[in-house]
Amino acid sequence: MKPIHIKKEAFGPAMAKAMETYAVAGPVPDREDAKRRHLFRCLEKGETPDLEYTATQLSPKALLFPQAETMFRFKVPSGGKKAPFLEAESFKERPLAVVGIRPYDARAFDMLTLNFDSKDYKDPFFLKRCHQMVRVGLADTTLKDTNFSTACGTGPFDTTALDILLAKTEDAYIGTVITAKGKSFAAAAGFEAGSAEDTKALARMKQEAESRMRPGPDFSALADADTLDLHGEDHWARLAFSCINCGSCTFSCPTCWCFDIQDEVTGNDGVRLRLWDTCMTDLYSAHASGHNPRQERFKRFRNRFMHKLKYFPDKYGQGIMCVGCGRCIDNCPVGIDIRTIIGEMNAKAAGAAKAAGTAKTGGTDKATEAAS
Amino acid sequence: MNQFEPKIITFLCNWCSYGAADLAGVSRFQYPPNMRVVRIPCSGRVSAKMILHAIRNGADGVWISGCHPGDCHYIEGNYYARRKFYLLKELLEYSGLEPGRLQFSWISSAEGVKFAEVAHEVIEKIRDLGPASRFIKRLPEVA
Amino acid sequence: MELNDTLRDIAKKLLEEGRVDAVLGFRQSSLAHMTEPFLATTAEQADQLVFNSCCRMNLAVYLTPDLFRSGRPESGKKSPRVAVTAKGCDSRNIVTQIQENRYKRDQVHIIGLPCTGMADKAKLLAAAPEGIDTITEKNGTLILSRDGKETVVSKTEVLQSNCLSCIIRNPVIRDEMAGDPVPELDMDSHPDRFADVAEIEALSPADKAGFFETLVSDCTRCYACRNACPLCYCPVCFVDESRPQWVGKTIAPTDVMAFHLLRAFHDAGRCTDCGACEAACPMDIPMRAFTRKTIKDAREGFGWETGMDLNLRPPLDRFDLKDPGDFIR
Repeated sequence: MKPIHIKKEAFGPAMAKAMETYAVAGPVPDREDAKRRHLFRCLEKGETPDLEYTATQLSPKALLFPQAETMFRFKVPSGGKKAPFLEAESFKERPLAVVGIRPYDARAFDMLTLNFDSKDYKDPFFLKRCHQMVRVGLADTTLKDTNFSTACGTGPFDTTALDILLAKTEDAYIGTVITAKGKSFAAAAGFEAGSAEDTKALARMKQEAESRMRPGPDFSALADADTLDLHGEDHWARLAFSCINCGSCTFSCPTCWCFDIQDEVTGNDGVRLRLWDTCMTDLYSAHASGHNPRQERFKRFRNRFMHKLKYFPDKYGQGIMCVGCGRCIDNCPVGIDIRTIIGEMNAKAAGAAKAAGTAKTGGTDKATEAAS
Repeated sequence: MNQFEPKIITFLCNWCSYGAADLAGVSRFQYPPNMRVVRIPCSGRVSAKMILHAIRNGADGVWISGCHPGDCHYIEGNYYARRKFYLLKELLEYSGLEPGRLQFSWISSAEGVKFAEVAHEVIEKIRDLGPASRFIKRLPEVA
Repeated sequence: MELNDTLRDIAKKLLEEGRVDAVLGFRQSSLAHMTEPFLATTAEQADQLVFNSCCRMNLAVYLTPDLFRSGRPESGKKSPRVAVTAKGCDSRNIVTQIQENRYKRDQVHIIGLPCTGMADKAKLLAAAPEGIDTITEKNGTLILSRDGKETVVSKTEVLQSNCLSCIIRNPVIRDEMAGDPVPELDMDSHPDRFADVAEIEALSPADKAGFFETLVSDCTRCYACRNACPLCYCPVCFVDESRPQWVGKTIAPTDVMAFHLLRAFHDAGRCTDCGACEAACPMDIPMRAFTRKTIKDAREGFGWETGMDLNLRPPLDRFDLKDPGDFIR
């Protein structure tokens, strides 16, 4: 953990220097006329990540997991004499440094990795990018009301998923180098070493930012709750009533990873694409037979929350699949708040646990069983 | 001969314009071979999706021809079609399609001459516009 | 009496007297600048109903066959009657849905809301960058408060753009009103009503194409615009059809354009310019630029104004011998 200190005017030149070794991605204003909106993308020569941004409507997950990814191209020569031809992804990219990513968004990258780097399957597209990516974080000192990242086990200054953490002060970016990868990047960019003062300032800023956060939801009872009980609760249709089943929550979510694979073909030429998909649409779970286990809208709604808050924690044992960035709350057109839904689910789970506790004495209730 | 040869998708109503194309053929009225004809039961059958599909797949122009008002085999299909095409043509040209790429005509099965004439006009107009460049779906590149 | 109190009283009375089985309205969301569509089935729940400048969604979206089926218990009770709170535009969409045989007029009890327009989400947030704890409305102004600090904005300044050219602010059909009707803006034949469309029409084809490519460049294909639209109720949307696949699923400009063009065309002659699509868009895409054109054309070509009269058939379900036909050879 080595402190660094970069004067704001030195940041642009440092990025230009880093670009000699790395491809750099970062937050930039979307368009000149849309000042309030930034998005993450790979930068061209001469561009600098705009670390003065406040928030991005979309998470940076597209850098690891593009919305539309061409997996390979194929050609079936006509006549049937020549063998079909197949051209795969070449991965000629330089190592990518994502500069200005929020610490909790970086934590989401780790959650995506759990899915794409499993015992059963290692996704080459994702992993190649993931392994060479350097994550240069920017602490969130302009937290939105909807952010509840600390409640999700990460936070505006969380260093667990970062290689370097930066924080914005009046005239400089101060921070720490966390990993060896970060050290190489700091060297390539020529970041100046900081002092013990900077470390102290960082700790102070962290405490200040976290103290300003609104209390997050409580999901303590969910871990020990019975999955089928939660699934079968009678509140889902009511909670889901306003949901119009669009994909603005899942597409802006940093941890949603569902995709659909399809071929686009013209004549003898085609590509296989991997595209973001969303569990909110009926097509997502439609069977070829015509049957759809999630035909009703509330079932799709239920799946999203059950997946994030129950199936995922149960499967991987690494906490809920949510980093509390709050984008789904900000983007929801009908005002659905994941914190409210968590609260309702938790209350049901806690109620069930309490009922089970009073019904059975002797410590054989589900909660104790699961805990032992 | 490096002249640009447009590809034009032509939707012809089975009861009139398709017959007119036939009549033009047997009467040996010549017109350029730039059309690919799709026979349809009525101009009212053509939906916006079909027209956009043709354009997306690289057609340089789309021409739809049906029965004269009052002559529809299904009594009034072409009247509905007229309203639909009016809105569609306006919307597509409003979004950047060059006027002329999308053409409509009423040609009865007795009008072989008119068919050949309109075919000439449509094809020449689209030839003047040059190859289509908008709304075309191209395969994504491999990164 | 405050409009919200009248609204709640009406809803309670309807529910208590058993005249309706549910009241569809809005309630406050966890965020001050958002409301959530809400179905009250008891008088107690009716106390949560609100109407303010943040009720951007179009409630006609929720008047689905499922809703009318849902309350039909085994007892053989006839399908439920639903009361719906409706702004001017909502009511026009209800008219359209009745014209399109989605449900019958007597299945809905319409509680009319006099509407002075909705506040644009982005404009509100821009006016109060620190965040908003509560919003109070008073005499044409909105008071945005945050930790005791107040920002006062005039409602006109933060209105959604569709509300500025609104032609019907009071519901065209209603069973009762929750407040006194507000004066109309008389925009229907105003010379500037379609100034925005005319501006685009004046561009060259290349500039038009460029304009729209930029306009939709942020689209993520989340379909919030489609799902927030009371016109979009096809059992299978054209974007989900796979044989043939009309629209590619990528975010390449041509696929995004194909989606927006066909969506707008499906709404031709049906769109009431309620603005729910734009309000729903997480990327703030002004996609009404497409639908506004179809509204203008339906008006100029067929003299059609959507959702004004229950007794008229939709414009693409009828024709006139004198319809414009100059474009046909």
